[in-house]
Amino acid sequence: MIVDRRPLPHLDLPLLGGILALCGIGLVTLYSVSQGGREFWTQVYWLPVGLVALTVCLLVDYRSLSDRSLILYGLLIVGLLLVWQFGVVRGGSRRWLSLAGVTVQPSEFGRIVVALVLAAFYGENRRSARTAGQLVGGALLVGLPAYLIYRQPDLGTAVTLVPVFVGIVFVAGLPLRWMAAAVVAGLLFSPVVWMYGLQDYQRERIETFLDPSNDPRGAGYQQIQAKITVGSGGLTGKGFGAGTQSSYGFMPEAHNDFVFSSFAEEFGFVGVLVTLALYLFVLVRSVDAARLSRDRVGAFLVVGLVSGFGFQVLYNLSMSAGFAPVKGLTLPLMSYGGSSLVSTLAAFGLILNVRMRRFSN
Amino acid sequence: MLTRGTHELRESLQARLLALRVAFLFCFAALAVGFWVVQVVQYTRYERMAANNHLRTIPLRAPRGILFDRNGEVLVQNRTSFTIAIVRDRSSDLDGAIGRLAAIAGVEEAGIRATVERHRRDAVFRPIPVIEHATFAQVAAVAARQAELPELLIQNVPTRSYPANALAAHLFGYVTEIREAQLHQPEFEGLEAGDLVGQTGLERTYNGRLMGEDGSRFVVVDSVGREIQTLDEQQPIDGEPLQLTIDYDVQRALEEAFRVSGFAGAGVLLEPSTGDVLALTSLPSYDPNAFAVGIDGRAFTALNTDPLRPFRNRAVQDRYPPGSTFKIVMAVAGLAERVTTTTERVYCPGSATFYGRRFRCNRPGGHGWMNVRDALKYSCNVFFYTIGDRLKVDTIHEYARRLGLVGLTGLDLPNEVESRVPTEAWKRRVYNDRWYPSETISVAIGQGAVDVTPIGLATMMATVANGGTLVTPHLIRARYDGEHWAPVPPPPARARVDLAPDMLAAVHDGLWRAVNADGGTAWRARVADRDVAGKTGTAQMISREGRAAAGQVARDLRPHGWFVFFAPHDDPQVAGVIFTEHGETAGTSVAIARHVLETFFAKREGRPLPPLDPNTIGRNTRAVASAQPAPPPAGTATPAPAGGEGDE
Repeated sequence: MIVDRRPLPHLDLPLLGGILALCGIGLVTLYSVSQGGREFWTQVYWLPVGLVALTVCLLVDYRSLSDRSLILYGLLIVGLLLVWQFGVVRGGSRRWLSLAGVTVQPSEFGRIVVALVLAAFYGENRRSARTAGQLVGGALLVGLPAYLIYRQPDLGTAVTLVPVFVGIVFVAGLPLRWMAAAVVAGLLFSPVVWMYGLQDYQRERIETFLDPSNDPRGAGYQQIQAKITVGSGGLTGKGFGAGTQSSYGFMPEAHNDFVFSSFAEEFGFVGVLVTLALYLFVLVRSVDAARLSRDRVGAFLVVGLVSGFGFQVLYNLSMSAGFAPVKGLTLPLMSYGGSSLVSTLAAFGLILNVRMRRFSN
Repeated sequence: MLTRGTHELRESLQARLLALRVAFLFCFAALAVGFWVVQVVQYTRYERMAANNHLRTIPLRAPRGILFDRNGEVLVQNRTSFTIAIVRDRSSDLDGAIGRLAAIAGVEEAGIRATVERHRRDAVFRPIPVIEHATFAQVAAVAARQAELPELLIQNVPTRSYPANALAAHLFGYVTEIREAQLHQPEFEGLEAGDLVGQTGLERTYNGRLMGEDGSRFVVVDSVGREIQTLDEQQPIDGEPLQLTIDYDVQRALEEAFRVSGFAGAGVLLEPSTGDVLALTSLPSYDPNAFAVGIDGRAFTALNTDPLRPFRNRAVQDRYPPGSTFKIVMAVAGLAERVTTTTERVYCPGSATFYGRRFRCNRPGGHGWMNVRDALKYSCNVFFYTIGDRLKVDTIHEYARRLGLVGLTGLDLPNEVESRVPTEAWKRRVYNDRWYPSETISVAIGQGAVDVTPIGLATMMATVANGGTLVTPHLIRARYDGEHWAPVPPPPARARVDLAPDMLAAVHDGLWRAVNADGGTAWRARVADRDVAGKTGTAQMISREGRAAAGQVARDLRPHGWFVFFAPHDDPQVAGVIFTEHGETAGTSVAIARHVLETFFAKREGRPLPPLDPNTIGRNTRAVASAQPAPPPAGTATPAPAGGEGDE
């Protein structure tokens, strides 16, 4: 693979700026929550790593990646199987692989690989998602890694693969009546899933969401605290470093899943609006990359990545204010966590890549 | 070159990308509205929850000031008591927890439930005290189950501890949680519900000093209420310790002798030169400790409806006719006004007629020729009728005032009532009638419209003893300013009676003879080698004839028994009064005084204190049983707050 410098002037600088701005807001919040401590500095060290990943994903022509997507897919499955066998257990889940002293979470990169393989699957050979066979083929491609991740168990990450698939098949021409049928079927089968498809703790989470006072000291506690944390921020917030909820440890996971609650507490509704606008800008601008893409593979790749990213952002933001059940989903770009940051920036590297090469042949 | 198929696909792709953008826009708009509702619309609610939930102010109770006696002996102190409280917002199963608590603490579940119900409207994070003054067994049982019952909290509460046997109960008073109505009184400004305040006695008078200032700890608590960080701590300022003028041993001797007698009544001993109150009692009384541990409604009602009125401090809150003790005032007034001399003699035939009405003497056969000394010794009515006839009632009033027998004495106890010696103006004001000279004759022997408090009579006796300087009885001897004890100077003299030395000597001598000369009315008060001087009195409730007619009616109509005294005769160190309600004669009062005086002198001279010989003290044969409050068994469920429903 040769790095072609010609497309570089077409790099989407506004999108890159939006991404870096969100990283910056994340760091500021982490600094406050950790009171300038360990989490902040760890994240600071991860940022250049993520930027390197972004650059790599930007410079390699995405088509050469999509051409090799089946190889990458194979590596992902092997990695997940290795995790299953030899993974490091943390917090009751086996998600991490320890390689030469660095722990990596293969599932974090699952979304990129799945987006690549689905984009190649639907984008090449004039396939589309208009026939049942093609739909099932794509579903199987997503289903295998999703199942392996779900078994870790990490339902949250597994679920983020679903919007990647849904987003791609939607733009790949999925007939609307099928979508309607899927929604109806989902509603019909949800009681069955409820009874047989969920673990006890998952059922409890959802029950608690519907009635937080049910479990005021467990998951309901987090949900109540999230609301208090966000609500007590008010219009203009308590100010940088002055968030009582987070710094006294009432808001669990304040640097992680609930980083946005902490942010909302300190910077108020005004800060929230600015951040929401930035995320929306990043999403819409990314969809633009799909629109401008020179080929369907690029468009599908972008849509897959954007769908996964968008879903996670929307879910996490809803959860931050207590609008959605507590689920172990981080907020991309802002939450603490090296793997998450690197994989997200890598994904944006690919999105920028597609837009940058819209004039290439 | 696009084929038709690819063109179609391209159209569809662009449309769906647009749909995707619109979907994102819609979702973010919805989120923004959601955040606006939580952060702006519901801000106040969550802001308060944030503050309440996590930052708690834990009050640190300031221990009330300790009370010492004049010799440094501790009278009233504080002990630690445990309260078991429920914090509702820590509980996932409040009902179950109440049941478990009732079982392990051995108290009634219904009581706990009722308490929790009463506090239903309190903030959920506020501990509800459900078992106050818990026993060690209860505390241990709860502490051992903290893990499974996180909603239970054990609190240390400083609790007032009074001497045993309700000693000096009326003097100390008691404390309760501040009453609803008191929260708005200027006296209790700045206090909050739940604060302990003195309700009567010294606890009330000096409440401001004794309370000190509560401190607080500003803490961060986690989701289950454990304190994880102390942000700020303000140490409580202890209440100011006070040294009383009371002598513990004299006080105890006074009460023990009184209790043996079985009479209701009051007694006060003063230091004549200063007005220091050495002992003060009123019986029956109550146990202030019962209030300290939260008296229950039933016990309170029993006390409050007791016909003997144990809440009443008879020494300062009740007026009685002084009877013959008032003759001391007459002697002083007669001599000072020079309507009689130290040597003038008046013949007593057993009765005398003034203004057409016959007035009896207490000895029907008559006392014969009486001078002022003998008249005091024998308590001859005719002599004092004669003096009274020579004085205007307003003059008598003026001397009574200068001796401390009119109005308030100024003792530092709450709710003192005024002693009354009538004037012509008083009669006109109250009865809208003129004063008849014959009424002055009754006043001369302490009957009629004369009505005085025991503390008033004690003050009069102290004033006569010290030669005519009206002192103010008071209870505080010294206060502690944090580093050392500073004596509290006695209040300045309020008035003076100028009595020539020979006149004073005559009065003192007459009172000495009443005790020490053969035939004196108060001979039972003799203390070996101590020249006790004194005067007895019996105050009739109604005339003898009326009493005979009334017979054995339910209401006790027996006369009150008085004894006023000072000692030693030539250098008075103590003066006082013993009052036995319906004592029939003054005999019991005299006997009680004797025991107290023996104790006083033994203490002062460092001799062993005399044992109390019950046989020397007359017993009340018709004592109305008074319900002494049994303190509620420790560790019962918190009773309804006492107070408010009754008035002592």
